[in-house]
Amino acid sequence: MNYIFNPKKVALIGASEKPNSVGLGLAKNMISDNVFFVNPNRESVLGVKCYDKITEIKDEVDLAVIAVPAVIVKSVIEDCISKKVKGVVIISGGFKEVGNGKDEEEIRDLLRKNKISLIGPNCLGIISENINASFSYESPQKGSVAFLSQSGAIINSVIDRIGFSKIVSYGNEADLELVDFLEYLNKDKQTKVIAIYLEGIKDGRRFMEVVRKIKKPIILIKAGRSELGSKAVGTHTGSLSGNYDVFVSAMKQVGVIIVDSIEELIDTAKVLSMLPRCKGGIGIITNGGGLGVLTADYCFQFGVDVPKLDKETLLKLKELKEIKNKINPLDIIGDALPQRYEIALEALLSQENIGGLIVISAPQIMTDHKENAKIVIEMRKKYPLKPIVCSFHGGELEENNVPNYSDVLRAVKSIKKLYE
Amino acid sequence: MNVLSFRETEIILSKYKIPFCKTEIFNSKEKAFLFAKKVGFPVALKIHGQKVFHKSELGGVKINVNEDNFYSVWDQIIKNVEGKIIEGILVQEMVCGKEVALGMNRDDQFGPTIMFGLGGIFIEIIKDVSLRVVPIDKNEAIKMIKEIKGFKILDGLRGGEKVDINKLADMLVNISNLSLKEENIKSIDFNPVIINKSNALVTDFRIIV
Repeated sequence: MNYIFNPKKVALIGASEKPNSVGLGLAKNMISDNVFFVNPNRESVLGVKCYDKITEIKDEVDLAVIAVPAVIVKSVIEDCISKKVKGVVIISGGFKEVGNGKDEEEIRDLLRKNKISLIGPNCLGIISENINASFSYESPQKGSVAFLSQSGAIINSVIDRIGFSKIVSYGNEADLELVDFLEYLNKDKQTKVIAIYLEGIKDGRRFMEVVRKIKKPIILIKAGRSELGSKAVGTHTGSLSGNYDVFVSAMKQVGVIIVDSIEELIDTAKVLSMLPRCKGGIGIITNGGGLGVLTADYCFQFGVDVPKLDKETLLKLKELKEIKNKINPLDIIGDALPQRYEIALEALLSQENIGGLIVISAPQIMTDHKENAKIVIEMRKKYPLKPIVCSFHGGELEENNVPNYSDVLRAVKSIKKLYE
Repeated sequence: MNVLSFRETEIILSKYKIPFCKTEIFNSKEKAFLFAKKVGFPVALKIHGQKVFHKSELGGVKINVNEDNFYSVWDQIIKNVEGKIIEGILVQEMVCGKEVALGMNRDDQFGPTIMFGLGGIFIEIIKDVSLRVVPIDKNEAIKMIKEIKGFKILDGLRGGEKVDINKLADMLVNISNLSLKEENIKSIDFNPVIINKSNALVTDFRIIV
């Protein structure tokens, strides 16, 4: 699989300049010195020479990306076999998902016989640090989250929300399956967290068995939970969605984190990829009383402990004379300037049974989000074992690996994941 | 799809050490009466048959049957199920305690799964159940039991009796083992299982093969 994610030379078969075509999308994302374009109907695409066939390329080719009509995929595959490529990604649809399982199996068997790995068919493609072999609408930032998705559109909808190490749209799983990617990612140095969008799995027991061996956190969203959704799954990827209650129980048994929305998937991926696990309760620091109360409510609701401030902490907070009521959640009041944040963060982080913080910087007229953010980042460095999540109206937090959520509910739900 | 006969059910339950209340099957009401007298009145009477999937809906279940009305209740059941093929009528001792439900089903994707919930007729509406893919060990079984919202009811709510969840956990583990070995069994419904401070006994069983 390493040849697929880190290929030296790549061929795009079906490169095109036709407006709004998949072949053009791929060509734009892939264009580089190490990529050859193949299209017998064109001299060149985007100024790059086109070969008639992959076999005409003189260099060795590790990976072939195929985006041609389903009916000619088989003959293109035969060319790839004689070219001795190591892996292929078939972008083209028109196989099992439309009831054409026979051609899909034939192609898979042909490739397996020649020991060539296959991703797809019917997918958006793959993205790694080294290559964007997909027709995603943009290339993601580098990061430590790997995303495996049965849907290409969902990849596009999250691609700019967070940095990724690998993205795989695995399509119909004719050859390489979800579990194969999990095993690969478990050893992948760039990947810290694995996120999955799933509609159906082929073999639930095998999936559980593999997941048990994966050491990295896995976050999963499952579609096709309702009867209506299940029917849609059948026509989308041709898989069976199964019983959702059984699925959730099975995933909990093997430690997978199940989320309910795409937003929660990203929120959770952020917190798990950026921060250490939380050992201890949560301290809440806010410049707005209401937000502090809401945060405390949510902590109670989700079973996150909010410890009392102890004597030593109160002593450290003594110089904050404007604040009469020193409790956790700590309201440092609307007119708080960065210095107040600094004192409060330092005091609460040094309390032993406080394992992490939720820090809120609401937009009051005098609030300096940028400076407050800097203090948070300094404190993260000073207390590396204590995670901090924020609900800030500004400041460069996520660039510095501090998750920032527009709603305190999301902040609490995310920090809760650091206990699971 | 058939309901497993009483004799085979008995063998399976014993083989996997799943305790059930004193039960015997009869076709003669006189013999049934003698058995009822032996286990002690009141008793429960229930029809059992290969194609009887919902026995109470047919009027095939009567509980708290006494010495005085035993024969008339028996005749009433026979009348209710006229035309149905049954193996016989079960005579069961009545046990006191809280009602829970345990079950096993085979999922298309995950294979055998087991279920635990508060028993009785509302289980399908309230759906306060926990599920696991088998096999499970005793720790997991205890987690399953504690996971349901209604656990407080078993744990001695408002001075009520605390039940022996250990016995319940053993039963779950035994069903887990059973489901892996007896592949011809499609599903199991034990509802209710009566549980009190010292025992957990299956009082109603439906094993589908």
